Amino acid sequence: MPGSSTLDRVSSTGQAQSIDWSAVDREIARFSGRPGSLIPTLEAVQNIVGYLPAEVQRRVARGLGLPLSKVYGVVTFYSFFTMEPRGKYQILVCQGTACHVRGGAQIMSELQKKLKIGLNQCTDDRLFSLHSVRCLGACGLAPVVMIGKDIHQQVKVARLDSILKSYGWQR
Amino acid sequence: MPSRVTPSIRNLADLDAIKQRVDDARKKCEFHVAVCAGTACRAAGAETLKSLFEDEIKRQGLKANIVVDDCGCMGFCAVGPVAIINPGEIFYQRLTPDDVGELVREHLGQNKPVERLMFHDEITGEIYRTVSSLPFIAEQTLVALRNCGVINPERIEDYIWRDGYRGLYRALTELEPRDIINEVKESGLRGRGGGGFPTGLKWEFCASAKGDTKYVLCNADEGDPGAFMDRSLLESDPHAVLEGMIIAARAIGAHHGYVYCRAEYPLALQRLQTAIDQATEAGLIGPDVFGTGFGFDLEIYKGAGAFVCGEETALMLSIQGERGTPRPRPPFPAVSGLWAKPTVLNNVETYGNIPQIISHGGAEYAKIGTESAKGTKVFALSGKIHNFGLVEVPMGTPLDKIIQKIGGGVPDGKRIKAVQLGGPSGGCIPAHMLNIPVDYDEIVKAGAIMGSGGMVVMDENTCMVDVARFFMDFCQDESCGKCTPCRIGTRRMLEILERICHGEGREGDIELLESLATTIKDAALCGLGQTAPNPVLSTIRYFRHEYEEHIRDKKCRAGVCSGMFKSPCQHACPIDTDVPAYLALIRADRVDDAYRVLSETNPFPSICGRVCGQPCTLHCRRAQLDEPLAIRHLKRYAADNAKHDPVKELPTTRSEEIAIIGAGPAGLTAALELRRRGYAVTVFEELPEPGGMMRYAIPEYRLPRDVIKKEIDDILATGVELRTKTRIGRDILMNDLKKDYRAIYIATGAHQSWTMGIPGEDKPGVFGAVELLRQFNLNQAPKIGRNVAVIGGGNSAIDAARTALREGAETVTIFYRRERNDMPALAEEVEAAIAEGVKMEFLSAPVSLQSDNGHVSAMTLQRMELGSFDSGGRRRPVPIDGSDYTVSVDTVISAVGQAADFACLEKCDSVKAEKGKVKVDRQSRTSDECVWAGGDVALGPATVVEAIQAGRVAAQEIDAAIRKANGEPAYVKPARPKIDIPYEVEEETVSRPREAIPELAAVDRIGSYAEVEHCYDRETAIREASRCLRCDGDRGKAE
Repeated sequence: MPGSSTLDRVSSTGQAQSIDWSAVDREIARFSGRPGSLIPTLEAVQNIVGYLPAEVQRRVARGLGLPLSKVYGVVTFYSFFTMEPRGKYQILVCQGTACHVRGGAQIMSELQKKLKIGLNQCTDDRLFSLHSVRCLGACGLAPVVMIGKDIHQQVKVARLDSILKSYGWQR
Repeated sequence: MPSRVTPSIRNLADLDAIKQRVDDARKKCEFHVAVCAGTACRAAGAETLKSLFEDEIKRQGLKANIVVDDCGCMGFCAVGPVAIINPGEIFYQRLTPDDVGELVREHLGQNKPVERLMFHDEITGEIYRTVSSLPFIAEQTLVALRNCGVINPERIEDYIWRDGYRGLYRALTELEPRDIINEVKESGLRGRGGGGFPTGLKWEFCASAKGDTKYVLCNADEGDPGAFMDRSLLESDPHAVLEGMIIAARAIGAHHGYVYCRAEYPLALQRLQTAIDQATEAGLIGPDVFGTGFGFDLEIYKGAGAFVCGEETALMLSIQGERGTPRPRPPFPAVSGLWAKPTVLNNVETYGNIPQIISHGGAEYAKIGTESAKGTKVFALSGKIHNFGLVEVPMGTPLDKIIQKIGGGVPDGKRIKAVQLGGPSGGCIPAHMLNIPVDYDEIVKAGAIMGSGGMVVMDENTCMVDVARFFMDFCQDESCGKCTPCRIGTRRMLEILERICHGEGREGDIELLESLATTIKDAALCGLGQTAPNPVLSTIRYFRHEYEEHIRDKKCRAGVCSGMFKSPCQHACPIDTDVPAYLALIRADRVDDAYRVLSETNPFPSICGRVCGQPCTLHCRRAQLDEPLAIRHLKRYAADNAKHDPVKELPTTRSEEIAIIGAGPAGLTAALELRRRGYAVTVFEELPEPGGMMRYAIPEYRLPRDVIKKEIDDILATGVELRTKTRIGRDILMNDLKKDYRAIYIATGAHQSWTMGIPGEDKPGVFGAVELLRQFNLNQAPKIGRNVAVIGGGNSAIDAARTALREGAETVTIFYRRERNDMPALAEEVEAAIAEGVKMEFLSAPVSLQSDNGHVSAMTLQRMELGSFDSGGRRRPVPIDGSDYTVSVDTVISAVGQAADFACLEKCDSVKAEKGKVKVDRQSRTSDECVWAGGDVALGPATVVEAIQAGRVAAQEIDAAIRKANGEPAYVKPARPKIDIPYEVEEETVSRPREAIPELAAVDRIGSYAEVEHCYDRETAIREASRCLRCDGDRGKAE
């Protein structure tokens, strides 16, 4: 198919993962027909699959009657959408002003060292992926780290080990 | 979730009935416990508190009618989790699960509020029981935030109890759309999202636009780092926003609305949805609001993580399912917006103000604020501030009032440096301008913008270049990429800033940044690009010197730009001492090697180990965990205990002879360094012994004389000639020196006390601190009286006070015109003085001295209060009229400042002095090409370690100038034997405080000059050195 080879090379899942296509189609059907529904559709689909590889984007495009390029354009524009799988727990280190002023950058580099991954990467056991997030709006509690749905506040480097361990991390 | 049915609300009577019901229920309950359920308090553990309260009430079997409920964020994030118990609006802070039992038993069970859990003033200990009495709240004016912390945001009945939806009722039944717009115009409300566009005008444009389909949008994509006003309002009082939107819809003729809320706010999204559902159930959102036939439906649209979608045209494109790239305007959204229909887009806080404006009238609203900025503004106060959280103040409030009175000032005794307003689009207001009022125009004049309300406080440990880099990085990341000026321009600016922060700045970088900034501001397509350069321009405007230090000196005075240095402690040291190296060597029990590392840059390690002000500890990162390392004490341990290699006389390999005037730390360091380079050096000293301030100002109980002698003898042993009791300008003239010596270094210090400038100062019994200390050290001291007053707050004042006590004074009182935190003296010196019995009176300054029989007998002082910040970040003392009071004294010591005397320049015009200092260029050279100057005489009064640096630089410069004049190649430092530095860090860092400093008991110090501070023993020193976190990483491995 024209254009597909470039897109396929971008997403590098590697592992074969079974995708619940009927659930995906259900979400697409829920939103189709409504103008401007691409973003909520992609959000719903990403919640099912965990990320948006090329084949999923193609499905959405067909289902909503949109060009694939448009879907790809939106997926790559908004930081909440990812073409790479993410960890069971996403670690979001806030890089907002107040967190930065109170040591946020150091927390980020410490985590990279401990988990041996870079920004936006996943640990080998897929337990954690590390991301920076712009201002979680809890500036009063800087520096802030969000792991999964939990918000950790006034995080000190010395506490990182115990925080990670509470999510099942083994050094 | 308990099952509930929202009553249908069709008219005023329905609103009244609900209000009455809630009122009755509240009155019936004996206690109402509101637990804050905002994001911040939840992050601090509040989520479980509500159920803990309920369980505990059941467990203790309390029979009273007690209601435990969630409430929204009342703004005081610094002390969360928070609970408020009525009656009496009793405020409880920092609650943990362990506190619940006591609270239930004492307050709910026996009506005895628990003082332990109330807000205490950190300094006075005063307790503030009620919410309204809290200093944080008392100075605020709550309009948009009036319901926050009072109501349960997930119950529409609570909102109605607070007169909610009455504004909407009036708008729909009593006013025409035209009238609504007029009320908003009359209120003077301007957009609170940052643009500040008059809201009424915007609605008017949209109302007059043609079309049947119009939209009302709420911009809840609050993306500015440092801003959380909108999040809080949405979580705590979502109905206020909804009501504002419905009123707006009526005004412009719209029937559909969206709230575009960022996905990073899950609680806000949930509360909004709950509010919309309940309002829909009640009929307030739907086809027939209040039975008037007006229909309105409202949907939430969730963002997907793009800051640029806070820009109005990008936001609309995002709702349309597109990439959020802004478009040029015109056409403006009021005419052609969402789906090309007329659209009003306003910020959350803007809508939050509307119900009040319609309920009470625009004129009423306009009573608060300034000419050009009406009403109140909500700020998110964060950064280096005690009381961080949400603050709402009338427009026109001075910024320093917000910082000081509401915010409680900067913690840890640090000095305020600047306040960042307006996030990545804004600018910083430096300390000395913080008295400007909160007003759109005043803030723009100062180079910042009001912005959405983010207010980040920065202190002396914030690097302003790093702040600019941080914001530019943000804008670069969030740039949509559509227009070249923003996409490429911000990248180029970021590259320059990153180079500067990594020590690779170049001359011309600042000018290049300014030029790029102007271009981007002019040419970028949307607000993101147009305002991205603002933080850079603002920091250059007020902190250009920091940029210059980064570029020219590779110095980051705040110790933040770690790409430029090995460790923050070393970088903070004026002589670049390799702190991690010698700490590592002490830890490895290699004290001789530790001493060698110290001596590389410091000829006076034993002296510095006793008297250095240790700027290194101010940047010690261990402080983030527990306490900074006792770096100075470890230096002393190494210097006192190491085997000192005997000092050999160095050969004179050069023909030039150098004269140094002054045998203080600057002069002696220069002498040593020049001697090492093979010069013949003669040091002239007017006093009987060498040492300068070290010998003749610092008292013996801080610095024993034999310690000074040993280290100075080591310098002299290299072959430096010392001629004491020789005063240049009297015994030998400068012009004569110039004939015999190839170069001269003036390092005469600043040994004259400033006068206080008050009447009666000339009478016997009044002394300058520096002169008095010198006389003591010469054993020529006059008799000190019994009732001594010392004026000033620096180290000289403390030295004079502690000396006076030892000389037999009965009472010694230090009078200082500011507060204790502001004293320039070392904190440990202040503590030692108090331990010895020195009294201190703050916020007082003398105005006159009275005498009796020709001798000083009394002093009249005036009390001070602290006003606005000066450029150094301290608050200015302002005299209080009519507060004069008199104390009896028989000795007054003035320690308010020091100045240099230029007696050595007698009959020599070629060396110029300016503002009390010898004028020198960056190479320490004076206006006479054969004369250099440094230390206090050129810097102004400074410290021993700064003088050491001055001496070292001067020696290098003198040598370089001589070689250049001779056409010789530059000096090549001989290779030193490498010292291998071990790298050892703890596997797991455990918090433990600094090892206590051994010292003489206060009672044993009376009348004695025995050294007060003692040295660590070997085990203690190793334990303390092991606390070092090795911030230099393994970069410090090879020396």
